[in-house]
Amino acid sequence: MNFVLIFLITIFSLSLFFYGRSKTKSISVEKNIKLNALPKFYGYYLVLWCSIPSLVFLLIWTLFEPVIIKSIIIETAANQGAIFNDKNEANLIYEKIKAIYAGTYFGDIDTILKESALSYAKFINLFTNSKIVLIFGIVIASVIYSLKKIKNNNKARDDVEVILKGLLFASSLIAILTTLGIIFSLLFESIKFFSVINIFDYLFGTNWSPQRAFVRDASAITAEEYEELKDAFGFIPLIAGTSFIAFIAMLVAVPVGLFSGIYMAEYASLKVRRISKPIIEILAGIPTVVYGFFAALTVGPFFRQIGENLGLTVSSESALAAGLIMGIMIIPYVSSLSDDVINSVPQSLRDGSYAVGATKSETIKKVVIPAALPGIIGSVLLAVSRAIGETMIVVMAAGLAANLTINPLESTTTITTQIVMILVGDQEFDSPKTQSAFALGLTLFIATLVLNYIAQRAVKKYREKYD
Amino acid sequence: MNEIKIKSKNLNVYYGEKQALFDVNLDLNEKEVTALIGPSGCGKSTFIRCINRMNDVIDICKVSGNIEIDGVEINDKNLDVVSLRERVGMVFQKPNPFPKSIYDNISYGPKIHGKGETKSELDEIVENSLKKAALWEEVKDRLDEPGTGLSGGQQQRLCIARAISVNPEVILMDEPCSALDPIATAKIEELIDELKKTYTIVIVTHSMAQAVRVSQKTGFFHLGKLIEVGKTEKIFKNPDNKMTQDYITGRFG
Repeated sequence: MNFVLIFLITIFSLSLFFYGRSKTKSISVEKNIKLNALPKFYGYYLVLWCSIPSLVFLLIWTLFEPVIIKSIIIETAANQGAIFNDKNEANLIYEKIKAIYAGTYFGDIDTILKESALSYAKFINLFTNSKIVLIFGIVIASVIYSLKKIKNNNKARDDVEVILKGLLFASSLIAILTTLGIIFSLLFESIKFFSVINIFDYLFGTNWSPQRAFVRDASAITAEEYEELKDAFGFIPLIAGTSFIAFIAMLVAVPVGLFSGIYMAEYASLKVRRISKPIIEILAGIPTVVYGFFAALTVGPFFRQIGENLGLTVSSESALAAGLIMGIMIIPYVSSLSDDVINSVPQSLRDGSYAVGATKSETIKKVVIPAALPGIIGSVLLAVSRAIGETMIVVMAAGLAANLTINPLESTTTITTQIVMILVGDQEFDSPKTQSAFALGLTLFIATLVLNYIAQRAVKKYREKYD
Repeated sequence: MNEIKIKSKNLNVYYGEKQALFDVNLDLNEKEVTALIGPSGCGKSTFIRCINRMNDVIDICKVSGNIEIDGVEINDKNLDVVSLRERVGMVFQKPNPFPKSIYDNISYGPKIHGKGETKSELDEIVENSLKKAALWEEVKDRLDEPGTGLSGGQQQRLCIARAISVNPEVILMDEPCSALDPIATAKIEELIDELKKTYTIVIVTHSMAQAVRVSQKTGFFHLGKLIEVGKTEKIFKNPDNKMTQDYITGRFG
């Protein structure tokens, strides 16, 4: 139904464009007046007036219709004698009623359900009809209004500008609001978690074993149970594992990425650059899950084999394998960002250095790199924030046990891995175990936010200096 | 008349397909200021960049012909560019101090060439270079501040000091005053007058007045060719060539 309505509105608005355009043309000829805008602006004006109010109305209606119908139906069912103790049971009955209406319910149907299904059908009908009537009403009203305006030779160009500005503003508002929504949902779930688990027990605990809290109702935890639980959610092993793997990744990515960036920017001939830059960027396009199974199936066992040959115990899911592959994944970011910042160091600085007799490598080492340093640091920080947010590789290659270790050959885990492990499969949503995922998400979000902020500040400061 | 320091013979320069200089034969005298004038794109900057082989930096640039300094061919694959540039310093159009302290800007060159092994030797080089560039009095109390924080004119004198720091024989100046205000320009011109006692100076300039004020010899370039060269006085009062006449009287360019 909605699609039909949207289609009709669209067709009608588009035809109004041509009407508005020719109408204003003829008005200007008839009355011999100069139009305030080109005829096509009057066309746009009609289109926007016809489509936007009705579509916005349709959107709002579609969002609220089910909510309203549901509350009406549940109320009438209750009046008819249906019994439900809490919200969940009410929801269940409502779902049954909907299923009966759709003809997909195969259980027993008592009179209450039957009556309710009939009234549901009635309401659906009523709402749909009134929706159509209202939409037509709105379309007609706004078209009459806008036609009157254009007949008075309004300043259509200015009005169209204002409406378009409003549309663009609304789009950016949506982007911002959804981000805020995500942050707040993280925040509220985390607050629930922290109302059960003390935030200091979380931040400074050294033991992470959330499975101990499985299927335990967060709202009814006794003091004794809490004693048992409080050291199940220690964040330290996770942040340690995350930083450790990120550190190994940076050990690989920073030197290789930086040096290849320097080569690209300073030494590579145009031809080499044209071929190798896209190749490096392909590395950035490989899905992380592919890196993940490469790490888990090839590199991990390879390291274990080497370790065995050397007489070392290497876990097949080692921090080293995960970090190494993650580092390889990050190389193109470091390389292409540092290539960019090195390229934007003005040639005049290089000339100045060559002119006193410095060689190319001296110039790079003593002039170009120091000048590009803030930007390079920024790109490294961006890479770090990618490394700690990276999920797939560590899920597949880093292991699940939260070991507090600095031995790269042992398995260790990360924040992202734990979030995945907690939320995979069926979950009790009021268990602290599930809620801890949100707390982890929030912590991770804050950490990457801070890193990104610092990185962008560093890059910006650098840009200001030379642009 | 001073002795000839730099001698170019049939110098041709190509940027890819495009020829930028055509058979330039030009002699530059020792301890004298030679000004190169001409409309934009006429090859005067290209010419001076041949003298310290700065064109090597540009991939597509090819240089043929000869340039001799003190009778030694420098346009030679086997020549050590590092020591050539130690002898031939350069100052650019836009002041380009390194984003380092004033002290480090000056000590950069000597360190590269292994001069000034002790701190006190280096201090002395920095002080002397800044004094020769008439900048010492203005910056002696803030040598550790960034060179980029100085005013445009001071930055350019800092760059001159940087060129002097490795004790060159020749200083090339590529429109050194074009980014400066008249007062800063006057200071640089004064400085050039002083420097010519020690160094051979080649200056590219767009200002005819500046060429008259600072130079003893002037070369006029047009479309990659050296049209006329001679004593500055003669070029500006009584040029042989009609094109030179037209240019210096402002009829084109």
